[in-house]
Amino acid sequence: MKRRIMPLVLSAYFVLFIIFVVLLAYFWNRDSKTPVQPINFSHQIHVSKVGLQCTFCHDKVDKSTFAGIPPVQKCMSCHKNVKTESPEIQKLTRYWEEKKPVPWKRVYSFKIQNYVYFSHKRHIKAGLDCSKCHGEVKLMPQMKRVRQLEMGWCVSCHKANMAPTDCVTCHK
Amino acid sequence: MDRRDFLKFLGISSGTAMISSCGVDKANEKIIPYLIPPEQDVYPGKPVFYNTTCTECPANCGLSARVNEKVYDEVRGLFPTKAEGVKGHPINNGALCPRGQASLFRLYHPKRIQRPMMRDNDGNFRVATWQEAYAYVTTELQAAKEEKKDNLYFSGRTTGTLAGLIGRFCEEMGIERLPEFEIFSHANLRKANEIVFNQPEVPHYHIKDADFLLTIGADILETFVSPVSNAAQYGEAVKNENFTWYHLEPNLSMTGLKATTRLAVNPHSEIYFLAYLLHALSRSDIRKRRPSWAIMNMVPDPSAEEVSQKTGISAENLEHLVSAFFIAKRPLIITGGVSTAQPGGLEAALLTALIQAAMGMNDTVVDFAHSQNYEKVGSMLDVQELLERLRNKAVGVIFISRSNPVDDISANFNFVEELKNARLRVGMSDFMSASMQECDVVLPLSHSLESWGDAAPRKGIRNVIQPAIEPQYDTRTEGDVLLEIMRTASGQKQGPDYNQYLIEQWHSLYGESETVSLIENGYIEEPVSPLSIAVDTRSVESYLKNTDFSREVAAQPVLIITPSIRTYDGRSKVLPLLNEIPDPLTTVTYGEWVSVSAVAAKKMGLKDRDEIQISVENENLNYPVKVQNVLPENVYMVQRGLIYAIKTDIDSRSGEASWYLDNISATKTGAVIPLPILSGSMHEEGRGILSSHESVVEHSEHYNEKLKEEVDVEEERIYPKHPHKNYRWGMTINQDSCINCAACVAACYVENNIPVVGQKEQLQGREMSWIRIEPFVRDDRDIEFTLMLCQQCDNAPCEPVCPVYATYHNPEGLNVQVYNRCVGTRYCSNNCPYKVRRFNWFDHRLPKPWDKMYNPALSVRGRGIMEKCTFCVQRIRAAEDMAKDEDRLVRDGEVVTACQETCPTKAITFGNLMDDSSRVSQIARSDEAYRVLEELGTEPAIHYLRKKERKSEA
Repeated sequence: MKRRIMPLVLSAYFVLFIIFVVLLAYFWNRDSKTPVQPINFSHQIHVSKVGLQCTFCHDKVDKSTFAGIPPVQKCMSCHKNVKTESPEIQKLTRYWEEKKPVPWKRVYSFKIQNYVYFSHKRHIKAGLDCSKCHGEVKLMPQMKRVRQLEMGWCVSCHKANMAPTDCVTCHK
Repeated sequence: MDRRDFLKFLGISSGTAMISSCGVDKANEKIIPYLIPPEQDVYPGKPVFYNTTCTECPANCGLSARVNEKVYDEVRGLFPTKAEGVKGHPINNGALCPRGQASLFRLYHPKRIQRPMMRDNDGNFRVATWQEAYAYVTTELQAAKEEKKDNLYFSGRTTGTLAGLIGRFCEEMGIERLPEFEIFSHANLRKANEIVFNQPEVPHYHIKDADFLLTIGADILETFVSPVSNAAQYGEAVKNENFTWYHLEPNLSMTGLKATTRLAVNPHSEIYFLAYLLHALSRSDIRKRRPSWAIMNMVPDPSAEEVSQKTGISAENLEHLVSAFFIAKRPLIITGGVSTAQPGGLEAALLTALIQAAMGMNDTVVDFAHSQNYEKVGSMLDVQELLERLRNKAVGVIFISRSNPVDDISANFNFVEELKNARLRVGMSDFMSASMQECDVVLPLSHSLESWGDAAPRKGIRNVIQPAIEPQYDTRTEGDVLLEIMRTASGQKQGPDYNQYLIEQWHSLYGESETVSLIENGYIEEPVSPLSIAVDTRSVESYLKNTDFSREVAAQPVLIITPSIRTYDGRSKVLPLLNEIPDPLTTVTYGEWVSVSAVAAKKMGLKDRDEIQISVENENLNYPVKVQNVLPENVYMVQRGLIYAIKTDIDSRSGEASWYLDNISATKTGAVIPLPILSGSMHEEGRGILSSHESVVEHSEHYNEKLKEEVDVEEERIYPKHPHKNYRWGMTINQDSCINCAACVAACYVENNIPVVGQKEQLQGREMSWIRIEPFVRDDRDIEFTLMLCQQCDNAPCEPVCPVYATYHNPEGLNVQVYNRCVGTRYCSNNCPYKVRRFNWFDHRLPKPWDKMYNPALSVRGRGIMEKCTFCVQRIRAAEDMAKDEDRLVRDGEVVTACQETCPTKAITFGNLMDDSSRVSQIARSDEAYRVLEELGTEPAIHYLRKKERKSEA
């Protein structure tokens, strides 16, 4: 009796394990590259069609370590009147009226977020174009991650541009 | 197990391990915007600072709260993350003490009272609304009035606008305002000043202007009146080559160990010394204003031998002291603390006042015009009167605000029992203290960093209290509570809130533009009218007539209950950081203990942590022992606030609470109690950590020449020399001005997100502090301290042993620890001769909501990671970032480390050692400089300045 159950349990275990790994791998990648945002915001419309500069919304990019995500108030400053019939904008208005910040999904992050201190300011001041890391955002109807932010990639660029490669440049 | 089973288990366990190691991808984390951005221009990397006031003790130093932007619980907001001193503030000039540094732990304390509470029918607390509480209190006030009972207002020391508002409130509501309650009321000092000068005040002492300081019992660097102000002034005074400081005390304090000469006196014998000094003064030629002879005849005139015999000061020392006092140009004598809180304390304070007058100190260093605003503070006599009224059931509603009398007042006064006789007890506090537990209505007060207000710590200074964060709970400021009760009583619906009330007050006092500068700078200095201080001979005479100076000198063992630099009178004990960092003198962290002199311990066969029983009359107290060198044999010490159970008496003339228990007996019980004592040994075992003369000479011979002439000595090295490009960061620590107050230790914890690990971990020696104070017994008469932190060695022994290159030397001379590389082998810690590396045995994240306090500029380390002092690399990087924007190098003084910033005496200097003109390299080249364990060739970046020779007489 015991001899029959053991192989069965074991094979079931391994089959489940393999299914789990496959599913994990499948969803992991898809989710992280283009996360589904609470509002289907299009960079393409705002940049290519409307002609907004990146810094119009991300106004801290040349001042702070973070580029800054615009306050809901800023979105509403235009969308009080612009395109109010769109269901996506109505979602935005709902957030505003309920006094809830929009829970955007992060697109770019470091694997070890807690230990990396990347400064947008320094890179912008060094004359880097946003697209160098973020890709052609102006062509993206849905924000997509085009680079895996891994240290090797950072360092290769730092080396090529004679930027410091001292660890405390980013890790503290 | 056969081979098959083994393989099966291997398969299952490896599969499980693989699944469990699959982390969560951070890409799906939320990124929360503001709904509406704040008015201030705050963004990551640019904090904003609010100048406000520290309310952790009555000194009310200027506090500058650093506010950072961060996302907490899915809300983007602004959070105070660090407390600094206000730069240029007349009291603390940019510095804070450990309690001030830890005050953020109070702001975010999970145990704060969050809502108004009232008793239900069963007598248990229930949550109430403010309106409900106001209505109840108002009806009760009226009912008590009808019953012809007195309504009373009992609060801690209050200054500024709030003091005025309480007066108005009491007047309008028909409430009697009792004298304010502080257990450290300085009652004897004020009483003596009233008798001698008609000034019932605690004066402001200009320590920095003195060239000779004589302190008797006053622990000026720890808790006495305004310790940060005293320490800052000491830092100035000690720069004077001729500055001499004698300290007389029956116990042992860090203040005493800092003095040029510390003289131990027998308990209760101070008055003999002071009487001798006064008479010696009247006989000498250098006197300025000799007291009238009528007075002098009434003061006993002991001979030098008699004084020697009574006090225990040798005749030789006595002579040195007296002559040094007389030849000084600007001498200052301060008596306080343990020497006034004793049976003869009033006489001691009175004699001191006479000496001050005789030496003309009132015109220079003893300043009554800027006195410390203690005039509304009462004493234990007032408490006794209150108890009498309670006993007679004459009290209706009693408000207890910002004080904890139940713990502070010695148990023999039966305060808890008597308080029950009041009709209604209304408590106002931020914590559910023992006193609040006795109340019927508890009104939660906002923390000072959540409220508007002001404070007048001493005459001529007005501090602003302004919010750095919105109130986190349903709390109010005391001013708002009073205004709203008044409105409820008068039936008004609308009225100004306390903020508007304050602004009106400030406008009427200072005008609009000055009000703006008050809020911006955090303080305003007002002119005070000069006082002419003269001895009121008649009042002194009539006092002396009824005074018996012949006081028994306590020869039996005494127990002294001292204030603590970590908890003051016990009020800061609730802050976990202050339990985590060691008491500097004993290095004890969590728990209570009694300090026993090394001599007595040897006689009784006591070791650290052995339990002893202290018996006095019918009371027995059991505590673990900390053996304390230098402490006189018959003196036992405990710290107030750690221990409340001790019953002490009061001086019936002034109401000063005594810090003494005389005639105790101590016996070993045989039990051993676990007590975290962080110092492994009180002896440096000849390793040369302290500034022995040899180490300085050796240093100047080998190192100074090299630094001055930049001769590159070819040494035998395994690794090539480190190239430094623009910077080599370095630090100097002046051991002469360092007072070991541990403010730097607390500042480091808060700035660098250092985990608070708790008693259990500390008992296993797993403390985490990056900077520590090490006391070492030099000989049996002196204890010397040194600050120990990562020495940022040029040839760091920790670097080559790291198998993963997680610690390395960077081009700026920093010995960097890369947390995400570290795999936790702990080889580096093994190889560090300074023992400054700390290992995270567990994840020690601060529990909510304390984690609001985390500094977002650097990481919070997790389990299995080694960490250590980084020279505040986040501050260096910020300064470099700013310099790069302006295309220049970092200027000298632009990088200020957390320890340096908070240092009251400015003992720490930080800067670039490669810049010859920087302050740090100038100080490092001083003849007094040395480096710890230099013979190891580690080439540390920290230079210590030798402590000047001093004497201590046991």
